[in-house]
Amino acid sequence: MKKSSLLLLVLSLVIVLAGCNVTTKDDAQQNQQEPSDTAADTSAVNIELLGMSSGESDINIIRDQLTKNGFNVKLNLQPDYGSYKAQQDAGNYDVALSSWTTVTGNPDYAVRSLFKTGGDYSIMSDEEVDKLIDQAATQTPEDAAETYKQLEQRLVTDKAYIAPLYISLKSQAFNKDVLDENSVRLSKSRSLPWEAVDFKDQSKRASQPLILSQSISELTSLDPIKGNDGSINIINTNMNVRLINLTDDDKITSEGSLSYNHAIGEGNSEYYFILRDDINFAKITNKKAEDSGERVGADDVIFSMNRAKDKNSVPDHRTYTLHEHINTVEAVTDMSVLENTKVSGSGDSVKNALEAGLDTKITSLVNDKNQASTKDGKYQVIKLTTTEPFPQVLNYLAHQSAGIVSKKQVESINTYDVEKFDVNKDIPYGDQNTVTEGDKYNNTLYASGPYILSSKTDYEATFFKNPGYMKGTEHEPKIEQVKMRFIKDADSTLSALRSGEIHLYYGVPETKYDVVKGDSKLKLQTIESNAVSYLLFNTKNRDVATSDDLRRAVLYSINQDEILTYYNNNKIKAYSTVSPIVKTGNELVADPAKVKEFLSAYKASK
Amino acid sequence: MIKKLLSKQETKHQLKSSHEYSQASFTWVISLTLTVILLLNSFDFTGGTIKPWVFTAFAVYALFTIIQIIITLLIRRDLRSQGEIRRSTRILGYIQLLSIVTGNLFTVTFGFNLIKKQKPPEYTIAVYMLLTQLFVIAVSALNLFKPYVSNTFLPAMATLLIMAIIQLVALILVARYVKTNYAHPRMIWLAFPIILTAVTGNIFALVLGINLLAKIRKNGNPAMTRWGDVWVKLTANQTAMSGLFFVVFLFCLSVSSLFTFDYSIAIDNNYSAILQPPSLAYPFGTDNFGRDLFSRIVFGARISLIVGFASTAIPVIIGGVLGAISGYYGRHTDNIIMRLLDVLYAIPGILLAIAIIAAFGANTVNLILALSVGAIPTYARTMRANVLLVSTFEYVDAARAFGSSNFSIIFKHIVPNSLAPMIVKSTLTIGAAVISTSSLSYLGLGVEPHIPEWGNILKIGSTYLETHSYLAIYPGLAIIALVLSFNFLGDGLRDALDPKLD
Repeated sequence: MKKSSLLLLVLSLVIVLAGCNVTTKDDAQQNQQEPSDTAADTSAVNIELLGMSSGESDINIIRDQLTKNGFNVKLNLQPDYGSYKAQQDAGNYDVALSSWTTVTGNPDYAVRSLFKTGGDYSIMSDEEVDKLIDQAATQTPEDAAETYKQLEQRLVTDKAYIAPLYISLKSQAFNKDVLDENSVRLSKSRSLPWEAVDFKDQSKRASQPLILSQSISELTSLDPIKGNDGSINIINTNMNVRLINLTDDDKITSEGSLSYNHAIGEGNSEYYFILRDDINFAKITNKKAEDSGERVGADDVIFSMNRAKDKNSVPDHRTYTLHEHINTVEAVTDMSVLENTKVSGSGDSVKNALEAGLDTKITSLVNDKNQASTKDGKYQVIKLTTTEPFPQVLNYLAHQSAGIVSKKQVESINTYDVEKFDVNKDIPYGDQNTVTEGDKYNNTLYASGPYILSSKTDYEATFFKNPGYMKGTEHEPKIEQVKMRFIKDADSTLSALRSGEIHLYYGVPETKYDVVKGDSKLKLQTIESNAVSYLLFNTKNRDVATSDDLRRAVLYSINQDEILTYYNNNKIKAYSTVSPIVKTGNELVADPAKVKEFLSAYKASK
Repeated sequence: MIKKLLSKQETKHQLKSSHEYSQASFTWVISLTLTVILLLNSFDFTGGTIKPWVFTAFAVYALFTIIQIIITLLIRRDLRSQGEIRRSTRILGYIQLLSIVTGNLFTVTFGFNLIKKQKPPEYTIAVYMLLTQLFVIAVSALNLFKPYVSNTFLPAMATLLIMAIIQLVALILVARYVKTNYAHPRMIWLAFPIILTAVTGNIFALVLGINLLAKIRKNGNPAMTRWGDVWVKLTANQTAMSGLFFVVFLFCLSVSSLFTFDYSIAIDNNYSAILQPPSLAYPFGTDNFGRDLFSRIVFGARISLIVGFASTAIPVIIGGVLGAISGYYGRHTDNIIMRLLDVLYAIPGILLAIAIIAAFGANTVNLILALSVGAIPTYARTMRANVLLVSTFEYVDAARAFGSSNFSIIFKHIVPNSLAPMIVKSTLTIGAAVISTSSLSYLGLGVEPHIPEWGNILKIGSTYLETHSYLAIYPGLAIIALVLSFNFLGDGLRDALDPKLD
């Protein structure tokens, strides 16, 4: 016991000695900042932050930054998108953590439906913003950059309708022991083209399936115009061919699309496409893919474009706003139209532009798709006009919702009356129940793309190669069969990839990059994406709706450097949703002094 | 003479019946396990180097483990040759007291046990009281390595130290003046300050004070009270005492941390210290937001304990009352209450909790309610069974014959005599409640994600299992240790409270 008392004495001595040098919290903070000289109102301002559990890290960073800047943050965390959206619609928030991905890769789409009065997703109305959006849409990219800069100035700097957070990277990891590294592409906007993917050991093309994964197993609809979300974007992109494609860095190209070439007519409101003759629709018989013998031609294109822009063509049309600029779509049969129209910005005729690089020049234009023959010079040409000069329409045509479907097949399935559509009775084209194994299984899909969905369960979906897709060209699908595993959880997906159960994992979370890099058989690809995360302010019934000062106080509380540090620099700074597409040079710099200023202005105005 | 008569059989019995010997064996096994764990950790297998700090700790542990093994062998020899432990062997216990520097609870308590031949329960409680205080002080003192400490750190530490000194004095006095059946009357002046030191959450101090007062009151009377009897049995059970120690230690730490730990270190993000490995400033490392994991676990203990206790206490009371009523009145009352509870019982507990939280939102109060509701039927059943048994006893009939009211019969005669199984059951289920709390937080249904709670901390850790495994290991160990402690304590209480084992 003497020893233990001795021990205690030593211990207390240590602590007393240490006590002389201990810095308390107050000491530490006094060293850091001068005590404020004004007796201003320092009470915390309440703010409610809405988000989903999946964005927990972002929420925590924002909560921390706002708290440190004198806000009292109340969290409203919802487990899934449905409940999040319900809370948002009910207006139970001051700021909501939101994100936007410009899938078409053009700046107009990044702002129009979000910020324009009456836009699909817009909750705000500002004349100046509307004017700038419309102005930028008609301008050439160089001029538009300046306009978008002004738009950002108004949208973020002056009015703070949103507070930008970051641009995400798009990432995918794949098993390089199984897949050929050079065949796996990662594009900024476009989904992975499955037809290009090849095995390292090419002899396995016929015997082994390519195994991919996806988190959502409920497919919205396999009719391209009826969905625009993560559950079907990749699938529909690969099931339906389009008039045009995007390159990996979001440039317009005819490469791998239904058209050999395209041309923009003078005045920027006429667009011409010369069609291929080597794509047939595939159909499913006895769960195997077979060539339906029906060619993808001009009538299908016209049908698909017209239904895409028409709100009333199907019930639950989810993408018509993307195509609202389309005016008319028609097949050109009169050669003189092509000869007499000049290409925008050059003296060349559209005919020459469309013929560029083709082995046989256009000898005649045919109306019947079955008569078209590339080697004989008999072509089909589509002319599309827009409601106003709008070159960015091409980006929308590259979107999966502009996928070409079979006129004959869709018309034979969608026999219901759109106005009286009854979910319980009528089965629309592309309904996921028709491809789900079970008693409702009745696969009526006609796929114009490289692959066709044969059947799906809750566990996986099976696709087969379209036997009539660009046969003999470099775009002919390499691998016979594609399987898509539905794995909900990111950790499980990564485990599946590492164990070899799946070959490719699209959308690896930043926190797992190190794990992927540390695994010798995996390869990680990343590219700057068009996805921007930002804080959206409520525009109704809350103080943030009326007070610019309060919104700007939140804006200047956001420190993007800290967010980048948290994500190990796997995010990029953003200023608005156009940041990934147009480099405007604006940058958000956190400024606690400004926050204080705006907050006191807000408190004074109350 | 006697020595010669001892047969081999009797020697075996001697070894078995010696508390010191069984504790010595238990201690060296545990101590060796800890030593091996430290040895394994001291090697950096990837680099092939030795971590000097961990290796030093290993060396010290190994030293005390060797001493422990020697003492064990000596005790064995003593018991065989003389039938009791020699004085010279007991003195070796003082060496083991030194192992308090290493934080090895097992060797220290063994040392305290060995140096004293006659051990009234007060002595053991006093030892644990002092150890708890010293452990809390040591853990709090780790904050000195942080860039800054909380404003109340210095006065709080001083208070804790003064309390520790009072408790040390108390331990010495108790060792001197308290015998199995007798306590010096002047000890009453010690009892009150000791009870006062319990404000830090040191339950041992409270128990010691009460025990002393009780002992002084009935000085010389050899009759045992139930309370006293329980403590005699409990203090003799080392696993139960180490369980109780950990629970009290955490409780005491939770209370003291209000003053000695800075909450902002556990809550505020620090982007310059993201995912740091364990160091002196961050004993358990930092998480993905640069928050100190050690502070978070300390603050997390508070929520785990509050939720654990509250969500056990509520069903014990509600279930207990319902069970007592239905057991005592029987017939229709019984049928109605029990069938209704059966309905509740049919719903899986965790599912019910998830439903309640999904409906009413995630916060601590709802969490407690959600976990409580599902547990009511089991307590009601336990209570009902006990009441059915106890109400057939003669003293109940006697009370009835005297004309006592039903109310007073239930709550004066029946309930107090049916409590033992309820206490045991609740101790065992607190552990389950702690796990449920953590599971719900892990699923994102508990408290807000930035609030330190063990399940929340573990959830972050689970995403870094491969790259920064300490983020999951430490909160995981904390949960395991707390649940295990409650289970050990529950087992010990069952043994102590079960009249059949008398």
